[in-house]
Amino acid sequence: MAKSRLYRILSRIGVEIRPGEEVIASLLFLYFFFIMFPYYIIKPIRDAKYLIGPGSIELPRAYISAAIAVGIFVAFYSRLQVRVPRRVLIISSLVFFIVTCFLSQQLFFGDKEYTWMPLVFWIWANIFIVVLVTQFWILVNDVFNPREAKRLIGFVGGGGLLGGIFGALLTGVLGRKVPEYLLPIAFGILIISIFVVNSIFIWQRKKNPPVDKVKKKDQTKRTKPAKVGFLDSFNTIRKNKYLMLLAVVVILTVIVATFIDYQSKTVIDIYEDRIDRMLLIFGFFHAGLLVLPFFISIFMTSAIIRRLGIGLTLLLFPFVLLLCAGGIAVWPILPLAYAIKASDKSLSFSVNQFVRELLYIPISPELKYKAKVFIDMFLNRFAKLLGALILLILAFSFFNVKKPSVASNNVDILEKPGVVEKTEVSVKSEALEKPDVGKKSGGQRLTDESELPDIRKKIVRRVSVVSLFFILAWIFFNLKVSKEYTKTVKKKLEIKWDRADRMVAEKVDVDYTKLVFDTIESRDRSSVLYAMNVFDLIKKDKLTPEVKRLISHKSDEVKMSALGSLFESGEIGLLPEMDEIISEDVLEKEIGEIMSLDVYQEVMKSYMEKALKGETMESETAKMEVAKAIGLMGSESPLALKLEELLWDESPEVSKYALESAAKLKKKEYVPAIIQKLSNPITSEDASVALKRYGDTITGTLSDYLSDREENVELRKGAGSVLARIGTQDAGDFLTWELEEGKGEIDIEVIDALDRIRSENPDVQFRVATVETKIVQKIKEYCQLFVKHFSAKSKRKKAEKRKILPEDLNVLMMNIFKLFGLIYSREDIMRAYQNIRVGTKDSVDYAVELLDNTIRKEMKEIIVPLMEDLPLEERVKRCRGCLKDLTRSNKKNG
Amino acid sequence: MEINAREKDDVVIFDIEGEIRRSDISDLTLHQLVKDQLDTGKRNILLNFQNVEFIDSFGVGEVLASYISTNNLGGKLKIAKISKKLYLVFQVTMLTKVLEIFDEEDMALDSFEKE
Repeated sequence: MAKSRLYRILSRIGVEIRPGEEVIASLLFLYFFFIMFPYYIIKPIRDAKYLIGPGSIELPRAYISAAIAVGIFVAFYSRLQVRVPRRVLIISSLVFFIVTCFLSQQLFFGDKEYTWMPLVFWIWANIFIVVLVTQFWILVNDVFNPREAKRLIGFVGGGGLLGGIFGALLTGVLGRKVPEYLLPIAFGILIISIFVVNSIFIWQRKKNPPVDKVKKKDQTKRTKPAKVGFLDSFNTIRKNKYLMLLAVVVILTVIVATFIDYQSKTVIDIYEDRIDRMLLIFGFFHAGLLVLPFFISIFMTSAIIRRLGIGLTLLLFPFVLLLCAGGIAVWPILPLAYAIKASDKSLSFSVNQFVRELLYIPISPELKYKAKVFIDMFLNRFAKLLGALILLILAFSFFNVKKPSVASNNVDILEKPGVVEKTEVSVKSEALEKPDVGKKSGGQRLTDESELPDIRKKIVRRVSVVSLFFILAWIFFNLKVSKEYTKTVKKKLEIKWDRADRMVAEKVDVDYTKLVFDTIESRDRSSVLYAMNVFDLIKKDKLTPEVKRLISHKSDEVKMSALGSLFESGEIGLLPEMDEIISEDVLEKEIGEIMSLDVYQEVMKSYMEKALKGETMESETAKMEVAKAIGLMGSESPLALKLEELLWDESPEVSKYALESAAKLKKKEYVPAIIQKLSNPITSEDASVALKRYGDTITGTLSDYLSDREENVELRKGAGSVLARIGTQDAGDFLTWELEEGKGEIDIEVIDALDRIRSENPDVQFRVATVETKIVQKIKEYCQLFVKHFSAKSKRKKAEKRKILPEDLNVLMMNIFKLFGLIYSREDIMRAYQNIRVGTKDSVDYAVELLDNTIRKEMKEIIVPLMEDLPLEERVKRCRGCLKDLTRSNKKNG
Repeated sequence: MEINAREKDDVVIFDIEGEIRRSDISDLTLHQLVKDQLDTGKRNILLNFQNVEFIDSFGVGEVLASYISTNNLGGKLKIAKISKKLYLVFQVTMLTKVLEIFDEEDMALDSFEKE
């Protein structure tokens, strides 16, 4: 793909962008910019109008009214969003806010003053931010898969932060001189955002063309929107473990943020007694802490998420807060108050919010829309109220201090769903009015003024201790949610195929199948063999009427007859007398007794000797009969030793019967002869079946053959395959040992054998260090081959080579994943492998995301970059880089 | 037994003639031939049984081994034009539960295409 100028610019400033993503990433950046810009104009107007009007004493009324209004609005919005197409919904919302913004301008700056207006505007501003930001993040969720989002979320989110900076600066500049121009500017910017949103949907339609109309109609019929409401959204979350965890995480995040805000402001309040200095401090935070997260989000967020993964990144923020809150609990001093506030603002807006948005991406759209609206719009506000309530209770219950007023100068910089609109609960009567400190609004003294800082310190300490518990709970739920995230990603990937040997073993009784074929085949060759095969079928309780009819047809007729006539002909067999004889139990018992008679053994001995010397008519058939008969005799029979000779026989037909009998008798004397049969492709399968019957008793012997470099390679491969069929821990250990010590000539077979064991016996454990060493070796081979194959110098050759991935590379890749499957969940690894190998672009990304969250850090740093869906040149580059890194680490490790 | 390979629509078709018996195997077994194709990156294999008169248990083993090798690599192995007699045997032994069997070669090729 050709690289556009925009792509080059974004790459140069450090955005981890891929060709083709630059347009959508920039549009989303602008979309967020254009909704946060007006919000940071609206927000100061909201605060100022309210504080000048009803005043800070009335702030709780505003909080509660806003929470109730948002709750009602969520119920309405939930229903609306499943009925109205997303594009129409977003654009209509923007139009609604433009029109209402214009009306607000008229009402605020008109001739008449309306006393109810500040409260209405407060509620409106809350709905504005909740709706527009939620819509933005839902769109981001729709557009990106987790891998794309991980790379681009920092950049896209940076748009909002930049919008906030511009909005705040503009308000600062124009606010004093021409405040009446602010709202028109805000709705003017919102108008621009409509064009940006429209462009996003045009881009999306081009990328994913709509299904044809008939299909669309059908789909619409089938997916008639379910009844969606407040309760429905709540139930959706309640029934889904992952969504429940997400909801709990959001609630805890908001509560902790409320506490942090309180702690920092109270400490600042303790040490700063001048209003102008306090304004300077808050002003500094407003400006500085908006710029800091902007730079973090643009340049660091993606790198942090990539390096730490979702799990650790989720823990970063609470851990920092845990340290700061712990510090404040011990020393409620000013530097710690700055530190906690700075950590809160910078990490919350640049990392925590974005990584939490990533958690929504793998959820199915139907659930996501219901849950996200409920969590971000309603639960977020609910949690904020809950946090404020807990603070009030703490302030009342721990100290004998009568009701403090709840004052707030909301210093929040950027409000998003999931990010707290901070509530300041202060024990002093007015946040910035120092002279009234220690007094109730009515002027009643609560305590000695000189004691007040100590009381505040005590409250801060107590709040810090309580917040530590909440932070610990938050960390716990973050861990749970990140584990559940991996499971959710996994659900997006389907298993495309499983090991076929396991499937065949489950669906087909291979021994019985072969016996049926042998019986049919034997009928034309020898009535004795035929009878013995029938007897075997009887013993296996498999002589059903269909089988009886099938095997008793005359061969020529069977060959010529039609399917229907076979069942209808009523012809019953070459051995009609069998029907009368067959009382199966009696027959089995009779034959067993006959064969164990001494006289039978004696008579048979001389016949067998003749047969073995080839002195009988049709010696090959005679040997086959003898081989079969020995199998029926039992291992104690002195004739059983004759089988060894038959096992060495050159005729594959004789070998087949001999191997079958050997599998029944399982005498150790047969083992060397059976193992030799592994080297011949005609006898190897029967030999493997026979050896498998010996089980763990021969794993050591098989291992000797497996590791013997002098031995025939096919035989060694066969020994590996038998160990896989035996499938015990010992078998696994011997194979792992060969993996470690072997020279690699039978790696493919050994790895496949280990994979087979893992697939059939998940309890078998493998030595992690050995497997990881082999993985690194195979990755190295993969990179070498990749670089060699795709580094052709001429353009024509390059184009030709690009078309095909050599089979050797596919095999290497498969082996790498089989090896990973030995030490991680095989199912997860195979899911990832199959989707990387034959999946769509999105499934490749989800598969890589699954690997990223499954494999331990050191290993994933090697494999994940190689598996990502990248342009060929980039992949070659990464392979080269990987080879360099591996060589370097080899040298380092001596 | 004689096996000839040809390719059509990205499917490797093995035309098998004679009987797939243990005693009638030349240098290369059916499984070996299938593996060779898999090694070159082919993933769709069709066994044309039009001229197969009989297969013994070894033959069944070969077909199953080929099926397993193909499937383990994410490929598909199917059978076409099997005689009614053999189909009956496959049915009784439940091999039809695992192997996809088609009356005509074209139908088998279509099924590959649909996947």
